[in-house]
Amino acid sequence: MEVTTKKKSIKRTHIIKRGKGWALKKEGNIRATKLYETKDAAIKDAQKDRKNGSDVVIHKTDGTVEKWEKAK
Amino acid sequence: MGKSKIVVDFNYNVFINCPFDKEYTPLLKSIIFCLIKLGLQPKIALVSNDGSEVRFEKIRKMIEESDFSIHDLSRHKSNKVGEYYRLNMPFELGFDIGNKLYKNSNKKILILESEEYSVQKALSDLAFSDCRCHNSDLEEAIYVIREWFYENTNHIVLMVAPNIIWDEYNYFQSYLFSTLSNEGRSHKAIDRISIKEFMDYAKDYLTIKR
Repeated sequence: MEVTTKKKSIKRTHIIKRGKGWALKKEGNIRATKLYETKDAAIKDAQKDRKNGSDVVIHKTDGTVEKWEKAK
Repeated sequence: MGKSKIVVDFNYNVFINCPFDKEYTPLLKSIIFCLIKLGLQPKIALVSNDGSEVRFEKIRKMIEESDFSIHDLSRHKSNKVGEYYRLNMPFELGFDIGNKLYKNSNKKILILESEEYSVQKALSDLAFSDCRCHNSDLEEAIYVIREWFYENTNHIVLMVAPNIIWDEYNYFQSYLFSTLSNEGRSHKAIDRISIKEFMDYAKDYLTIKR
């Protein structure tokens, strides 16, 4: 029996340090969706993307992963 | 106006002379990623760990086979009582400058510092040299390095905006996290991967992306 697998494309939204603030950026986009003064504000806003099927990857100031929130 | 020439197969060597301590490692990783992204080949003593080879001989070879050098003199000051300040970095910089002068080569040398004008205070022979400051900030280091290569080479490279390199560095960290977690490695083990392994993963990731 032939088994066909359909690879589901994973959407990711990243919260990345940008200068003295934070950026919310969808992977694959050239520009950030929005810039924030605080990381907490960016994390709060990113929950909308999570509800829309996107993983949210929260980075530390050194770029490493602090937390990976799976899509809801 | 940006430089439009894109040479993907740009394979110049860049010697990196920097501190090898735990605090500096994140900065070193971002510098390595930036260089690979720009199509350059980082050369670093940490990657070749043949115990039978004399350390300075290894460094000498790398300096001689590199078209560019990055010397980070961030650790010229002791941070606590009793701590020795590091002499390796200024020593290797001096050797590199001597090699360039006596061989009359066109090599380009970038000097980095973590505090503006601090190198000139510690090493007054470099008083009129152009040092670039990264403030110990990874994002800033990528901006500074990308800008310096843009100014100092005519053979440009896959020149990408510095913010794009920084964002891609963050994406790469999530790729590394996901790939290594799937292999069963703990967060601590992921943080502790060697510079050699980090470079190999960065090359693979950027090759796939290209």
